[in-house]
Amino acid sequence: MDLNEIIITYEPDNILRKGCFNIFKEILTEINRNKWLTYQLFRRDFLSSYKQSFLGIIWAIIFPFVSIFIFIALNRSGILNIGDIGVPYSIYALIGIAFWQFFSNGLVACSHSLVNAGPMIIKINFSKKSLVIASIGKAIIPLIIHIILICILFIGYGKTPSIMSLLFPIFIIPLLLFTLGLGFFTSLLNGVIRDIGNIITILLMFLMFFTPVLYAKPKTGILAIVTRYNPLYYLVSSPRDLILKGVIDEWYGFLIVSLISIILFIICLFGFHITETRVTERI
Amino acid sequence: MDKDTAISVEHVSKKYCKSLKRSMVYGLMDIGRNMLGMSSRSERLRKGEFWALNDISFEVKKGETLGIIGPNGSGKTTLLKLLNGIFWPDKGKITIKGKVGALIELGAGFHPMLTGRENIYINAAILGMTKKEVDKKFDEIVEFADIGDFIDTPVKFYSSGMHLRLAFAVVIHSEPDIFLIDEILAVGDAPFQMKCFGKIRGLIKDKKTVIIATHDMSIIQRYTNKVCILYDGKMQGIELPKDAINQYLALISNLPHKDIEQEAIKIERNKRIISYPKISDDTLMKLMPLDKCPKKSNYNRNEFRYGNGSASIIDFEILNESREEIFCIKSKEIFFVRCRVIFKEDVKRPIFGISFKNKEGLELYGTNSLLKKMEIKEQAKGDDIWIEYKLKANLQAGEYFISVGVAAFEEERIIPLDRRYDLAIVSVLPTDESFGLVNLEGEIRITN
Repeated sequence: MDLNEIIITYEPDNILRKGCFNIFKEILTEINRNKWLTYQLFRRDFLSSYKQSFLGIIWAIIFPFVSIFIFIALNRSGILNIGDIGVPYSIYALIGIAFWQFFSNGLVACSHSLVNAGPMIIKINFSKKSLVIASIGKAIIPLIIHIILICILFIGYGKTPSIMSLLFPIFIIPLLLFTLGLGFFTSLLNGVIRDIGNIITILLMFLMFFTPVLYAKPKTGILAIVTRYNPLYYLVSSPRDLILKGVIDEWYGFLIVSLISIILFIICLFGFHITETRVTERI
Repeated sequence: MDKDTAISVEHVSKKYCKSLKRSMVYGLMDIGRNMLGMSSRSERLRKGEFWALNDISFEVKKGETLGIIGPNGSGKTTLLKLLNGIFWPDKGKITIKGKVGALIELGAGFHPMLTGRENIYINAAILGMTKKEVDKKFDEIVEFADIGDFIDTPVKFYSSGMHLRLAFAVVIHSEPDIFLIDEILAVGDAPFQMKCFGKIRGLIKDKKTVIIATHDMSIIQRYTNKVCILYDGKMQGIELPKDAINQYLALISNLPHKDIEQEAIKIERNKRIISYPKISDDTLMKLMPLDKCPKKSNYNRNEFRYGNGSASIIDFEILNESREEIFCIKSKEIFFVRCRVIFKEDVKRPIFGISFKNKEGLELYGTNSLLKKMEIKEQAKGDDIWIEYKLKANLQAGEYFISVGVAAFEEERIIPLDRRYDLAIVSVLPTDESFGLVNLEGEIRITN
């Protein structure tokens, strides 16, 4: 019984008095202790979203399929001028879409994670970080399905990806951290102001067209300048380069953006930890 | 903090915001300030905010059971949420020793689409159990919930009773050191309630700390060691259960009383402004005998009153055998109901009567001086008398309404002068030896 003798103190602002190092330790222990909870919350989302439907999990495959057909059709008809890419367009586009959707699905899921669990978090005290992290799961499942489809396409076109592409999981970690970091922040904001959820959906639509996901990096014009300073470009196109060519063209940019992602993630996680309980009462 | 203290609450306050839009702005401001490492300065009230809890302090020792009572909106649930750490206090400090489990709402984490089995794991995880613990206790949980084959059916097809049982089963098996319970046990059928209370008794016996927020005085009476009375966000005191129940009943029946007083003060002020000749309170009383009943703490403001006004019932009291005023009666106890009547006309043959109803309005007992064949002398205008009824509380636990009346018997007809139906509320405390509607004081004897 004495093992459970944890003493907890609730006091306004006592978290601010703890100092960075202690807060960091607290966050790490919390995430570590709640691994199983995070998995259960992910399972809850996953199981419930495909129940009461005949096709069930197959829906997760249908959506990417539809998107490939659209791209192939657009490309064949010559509507899309995508520049020189050196590989079949559908492969290029699908890889881009896979990573982009990982970001956009992830961000949307995170933003709504606290609000959707609102009735639960005002009645039970549990780790809200787990909720946000678990909601990233909603983006990981489609990513896995996309990757399987990409493999099928490679086989279909008789091409082989670079051997380096096996390393791609490591190279999407910056994208994951970037998404989670932003997600921690937007979930808080959306908890207080519901407008944030809608704004994010609209912003993501714009961002997708301003980011070379479906087309090659433009060489001239305003878009070229925008792309140069668009962190998402590096996060999406670098793992894609790795799969298609085996090397990252703009590794310098990727490195900087990765660093930015890590810093963003840590700052947002800190912010989330400090304010999560304050936000609970506004949900 | 003492070694055996489980919970200590020191001058805790919590504020809420009335307006949603303002709450959004304040929320953003708070997040901004905190993120920059600045204090939230939560001790100040901004526009539109109010204290939902104000300066609450108490201590609960390990193994004690604390009751929290108070009318709706007095801050009971907020207090439990603060103790659970769902919300932070805006002022003061809460210190908790041990793992806290909360029954603020049963089944809050259940997903309707998922099966009972899936929900047990998820809910247990949310309540802080580890996989090992759930695996070990899974069968026990299912057995307690008593849902049989439904374990692999989506929870949305459960009856509300099954839902409740499963939810309670999970929480109770999460084995907290401190258990917070909010009202939830009012739902569910009797066998389930009995089972739950059995478990709670077990917790109390195991020296776990239990905190119960409820409206049910019999729960307070049976399970708690001490009681915190909340009213309008403020603590009215920490009392022994017996005293707390009386205070609480006084409190809830006093709710309209405050307004009446304020109204009176207002009228008084207006009078002063128009500058009537100042009259002393005594003469005022004589001129217009004030009805004192609404000031009584067990007065029922929903009473129904009628009569021709030749006499007025202006006061009442309920006394125990030692002639002390009481609000609760023990089952089988002798008690007195007294009421004061002032006559405004001469009344030749007055009749005085009383009756008791239960909460459902069922008339349980009634009598009057005519039925008792009492000869009561003529009352003259201005007579001021007390009528006393001696009664025995052959009732089971619950709340009862007392009606009293004065009538006149003229030409073989009863003419109501003042009838006050459901004038007062009285609580009968439970006995553990019987059940039902009435107490027949049964005794069991065995012979051969």
